Amino acid sequence: MNAKRNYSACSGCSLCLLSCPVWRSTHDIRLTPHGRAKAMQHGASANDLRESVESCTLCGACEPACPENIDLLGMVSGLRASSPLFKRRVEVGMDGVLPAPTDEISTPTILLIDHALAENPALLESIIQHFGGSLAIGVARDSGFDISHDLCDGIAIDEERLANFLSPLKTTLRVIVADGHLQHALKTWLPGVTVVSLGEALSTLPQVRQQLRDSDFYVIESVAFHRDHARLISHYDNLRLTIGCTMNLDLQRMAIPTTASARHSGKVNVDDQVRWILEGRQPSRIVVEDVADIAAFGRVTDTPVVHLANLI
Amino acid sequence: MSASRSANAVITNAFGNNAAFTCRTLNLDIPVIDIGTFPADPVAANSLQGIKRQQTNPKRWNEPVWGEFVLALRVSDVEIIEQKFVSGTFATDAGGTAYGMPHGVVIAKDAAQISTLLQAAQQYKVPVTVRGGGLTTEGESVAFGGVLLDMTGMSRVLKIDAENLSVRTQAGIFWHSLAEALRRQNLDYLSAPLNMTSSVGGTLGVGGIDVNSARLGCSADQAIALQVVTPTGEIVECSDSENSELFQRVILGYGQFGVITEATLKVRPYTPLAMHYFYYTSLSEAIADLQMLDANDVSDYSGILTMMDKVVNLLVAFDSDQRETAFKTDWLHRLRGHGEFGIALKMALYYAVHPWRWREALFLRERKNTLFPEFRRPEHMRNGKVVDRTVVFSRAVWKHWGSRQMVIPDLATSPEKFIDTVQKANLVCKKYFPHYTLYCVGIKLRADHAPHYEMSCIPPDAVTHAYGCEFEPMMGDLNADAMYSRDTLQSFKNEIYDIGVAVGASYYRFGGMMKGYIRRVFGDAVVDKHLAMKRKADPNMILNRDVIF
Ligand SMILES: Cc1cc2nc3c(=O)[nH]c(=O)nc-3n(C[C@H](O)[C@H](O)[C@H](O)COP(=O)(O)OP(=O)(O)OC[C@H]3O[C@@H](n4cnc5c(N)ncnc54)[C@H](O)[C@@H]3O)c2cc1C
Ligand code: SF4
Ligand code: SF4
Repeated sequence: MNAKRNYSACSGCSLCLLSCPVWRSTHDIRLTPHGRAKAMQHGASANDLRESVESCTLCGACEPACPENIDLLGMVSGLRASSPLFKRRVEVGMDGVLPAPTDEISTPTILLIDHALAENPALLESIIQHFGGSLAIGVARDSGFDISHDLCDGIAIDEERLANFLSPLKTTLRVIVADGHLQHALKTWLPGVTVVSLGEALSTLPQVRQQLRDSDFYVIESVAFHRDHARLISHYDNLRLTIGCTMNLDLQRMAIPTTASARHSGKVNVDDQVRWILEGRQPSRIVVEDVADIAAFGRVTDTPVVHLANLI
Repeated sequence: MSASRSANAVITNAFGNNAAFTCRTLNLDIPVIDIGTFPADPVAANSLQGIKRQQTNPKRWNEPVWGEFVLALRVSDVEIIEQKFVSGTFATDAGGTAYGMPHGVVIAKDAAQISTLLQAAQQYKVPVTVRGGGLTTEGESVAFGGVLLDMTGMSRVLKIDAENLSVRTQAGIFWHSLAEALRRQNLDYLSAPLNMTSSVGGTLGVGGIDVNSARLGCSADQAIALQVVTPTGEIVECSDSENSELFQRVILGYGQFGVITEATLKVRPYTPLAMHYFYYTSLSEAIADLQMLDANDVSDYSGILTMMDKVVNLLVAFDSDQRETAFKTDWLHRLRGHGEFGIALKMALYYAVHPWRWREALFLRERKNTLFPEFRRPEHMRNGKVVDRTVVFSRAVWKHWGSRQMVIPDLATSPEKFIDTVQKANLVCKKYFPHYTLYCVGIKLRADHAPHYEMSCIPPDAVTHAYGCEFEPMMGDLNADAMYSRDTLQSFKNEIYDIGVAVGASYYRFGGMMKGYIRRVFGDAVVDKHLAMKRKADPNMILNRDVIF
């Protein structure tokens, strides 16, 4: 793929608006990649764009849509990096809550969980079983929550902290990551190690695919999907064809995000977003990849909502 | 000012130069407006306020009354954004050759807000430029001072009536967003521009040509009713049966007679389409075949897209298997185009005996390799049919033709004149650019909408169908070394439009930088009639100034 370009390449075509949840809820061009890029072309500073930059959920739906191949997410984290508003660090060491930590990781696959999964031990156990039990997959004690936070907020990551985080992962064959932002970064940080999203990893398993039905509505986790859109679109298109289910894909084939697990989503009402996702659809069951989506859908619909790892 | 002017009056404009405005044929009551902020004849060849035909931007409005105007709006609770970088967001349009800075931006919320804005604008004589997707190329949606009204703030679908196949929507919505909502009910709009981000309101005012327009007409003909805020701030519902005169003026009216705030549009059941491509080495043969298919209502979609004038692609597509089968049985053998293999073979032979043209051959190969897969992306195909035609085409258009500078002059003629006109214009393209694309489509006309067509992109001599051709030089990455000055681009457009004047054509893009052609194309009688109507409807000429008048 060609090198990513910066804001100066923006032609103002507005294609990035079409799948953006912030645009959908506000219809305010200032809060979109188009608005940010054009404002920067006209001299706006990070401070001028504070509200815009804060509103972005980092769902990533805009980036694959941009015909000028602009690094739109990098633009947001870059602007956050220059804004004092995003300098709040998250404490390291929030990860002690894990149900089955591996003190010494020796498994061929390592799972990096996110906040929502940390709070759902039963689901985590189910995921571990899907991947062959605790001998085959180990849950990392250090899930890098703080690193993911820093990535989103454009905070420079401490080198020593990063080295400690990566060290146990370097010796494994495969890392499965629940957090899309972290997964994307790990692909660069861990050359030679296969890094996949939890959604892709689960949806590739034959026993999981067998449990999917054509009347299901399948909700793709948007961050990991959009970060690797050119490749993953085939994976999910194939799944859709094989199963016959419907998905949270729009006409551009971007995943409509609920934004339930976004750190900054003040401008988007998650319930409205879920209602839009379900508009005109009557599935018998909703299958989600992102744990946070279980509650998001549960609030809006009576249709059963299950995580991909909990299908029966 | 209430003075009026009769035939043969000559007014010297504010610059005291030769912009004499002579109303030769009509005895019209054209109210005179304040000269000084506006030329006496806003449609003269040098109508861009003292600027010669070759140049571009009109003079920027910049009056001290702005401060008072802003205060008045704030008192009425209309938010006006004055930050330079927000104004800068709207500094140019898709053309990227006309630049203007509004003093402030208003993001549209509802008709009442727009009514307040326009009333204040009339009172303080502040120009208001309306913008939807901003996909004009001649600066028509660029504000040269004053207010930029961003209609995309009004982007909600209000009601889908699946039973009666209609939709009511706010008019700032992008066609693509409308399609997203309609598809949830297995519906689709009838026809819209192939770019996803033009707005409904911006399109109804200028045309809206799709690859199904030969069968379904242009978008502007599919509007059932509109809510319009007139230039003096009245909020009016109009249609063919209610306030029909306003409806006639607003449809294809280039935003001169009101701001479209809501629209009721026809919709149809959604169908995926079966696509066929035929390749020609002769432009005239391809056009003749296109016209044959259209005249006999053979296909649901048809159009021509060229890679070069040596490789001309005729696209034919169907909504139903029955029509596709009928085409295969009755019409396919009459087409003179080749399949992909046939054209590859023909081109290989051609370049084997013209080896010095190897650059051309490389270009064609490059184009084929990058473009063809775009039209067949598996995620947009089902069982060999295209499921999201607008996404497929639009993404390809933006990716392969889009850039920060675009000029797309066009010509629209009656079917009879079309081949000859396109061939002449093709020679002009060749003179200016190594690589360019022609896009040709038919447009079905509605006899009952003849009054809508006056002084529009529909040529006056077209009866049942018109044909349009766009001429788009490639200036993006593909041709990174080919940078063109605005003068070169303007000269190119002028040469294309000169052909139009000679043959009696019309244009899709006759406003903005091209408005010096308006009198030459439409004639004084029609132009003066519209100017008189405009001045009555918009006493201070505040709405979309410099677009047409
Ligand atoms: C890459 C590209 C591809 C294109 N393809 C096609 C195509 O396939 N078919 C086609 O028909 N056209 C095509 N066009 C032209 C373009 O789509 C049309 O000009 C378009 O319909 C304009 O819509 P818009 O919302 O962008 O309007 P704008 O550019 O924003 O405005 C157009 C005019 O209407 C006025 N206006 C805007 N909104 C309103 C409103 N609500 N009420 C009153 N006046 C208003 C503006 O002041 C301006 O004068 C293309 C353009 C580009 C750049
Ligand atoms: S990342 Fe998501 S929320 Fe942010 S601009 Fe892109 S589409 Fe909008
Ligand atoms: S899609 Fe890319 S080029 Fe188009 S407006 Fe958005 S950022 Fe700019």
